[in-house]
Amino acid sequence: MHRSILITGANGALGLAIAESFLAREADCHVFLGVRERRDRARELAARFPGRADMIFLEITSPESWKTAMGEIEGRDRPLGALINNAGFHEDALLANMAQDQWSRVLDANLNAVFHGCQAVLPGMMRQCQGRIVNIASLSAIWSPAGQTNYAAAKAGVIGLTQSLAKESARMGITVNAVCPGYIEGGLPADWTAERLKTLKMQLPMRRFAEPSEVAAAVFFLASAEASYITGSTLKIDGGML
Amino acid sequence: MPIRQRLKELLITELMLDMKTDDIGDDTPLFGPAGIGLDSVDALQVVVMLEKNFGFKMSDQEQARRVLHSVGTIADALEKRQAAA
Repeated sequence: MHRSILITGANGALGLAIAESFLAREADCHVFLGVRERRDRARELAARFPGRADMIFLEITSPESWKTAMGEIEGRDRPLGALINNAGFHEDALLANMAQDQWSRVLDANLNAVFHGCQAVLPGMMRQCQGRIVNIASLSAIWSPAGQTNYAAAKAGVIGLTQSLAKESARMGITVNAVCPGYIEGGLPADWTAERLKTLKMQLPMRRFAEPSEVAAAVFFLASAEASYITGSTLKIDGGML
Repeated sequence: MPIRQRLKELLITELMLDMKTDDIGDDTPLFGPAGIGLDSVDALQVVVMLEKNFGFKMSDQEQARRVLHSVGTIADALEKRQAAA
């Protein structure tokens, strides 16, 4: 399958693992690593796969940036076959103390960006009558922990968007799915102490966090030809936590 | 192949309709219970289909509403554009 894959947030642990999964398992795909200022790890990955992976600047909250990136991708010799909306971040606070811009920033990056991304890639996928969109939501969308009203609402919105868009695009050969990872190694706040992480792991059924590659494997499957009848689904990948 | 026949075949293929071309009259409404019963998702697909197969682009929603009424109205729009070219 000669196709391009676009992964947003490709400098983070999960984005890198997803990119590596495609590069290792799908020999003839080309991966675009969506990055902004931080790109050191994505650059290393691209260097390991010469000619098969390129970094591309993408400000996910900007429709203009999406348009520019899509112009570059569609100017190449193969169609965009899959979009992985992976970029996002959380900025936790209790709602009583949450500033308006904390709410807005998190909604912009985690929900509005997914809207912009889907809108940017859909025309091309509709013309081809095929495509895969995988949205990285979060267990927070279902679990809704205290301190994450903004993040939980945004990610729950991603699930709603996924289900609705799946219905809109199903007849055009486009599938849209979401995954809800729990805790991922390398994806936790840097200021969490070793003691806190240890306590957290003790509360999990598997007593460990997910390896990024374990989440990436599910994303790869949902973006593959084999997942052709799966759309509108939300897959939680949490080691049995919920 | 006459344009109306081709449009009917494309509609059946692209929208995966379980019907034959004879089941679609030139003036049968494409949308609503009195016609074929297409929905808004189908409409989007028809717009893409017309662009892909005929290079025909809708300029606005009003034009789309007018043109996408039936196979006959789509064919008229395509023929009118061809005559103007």
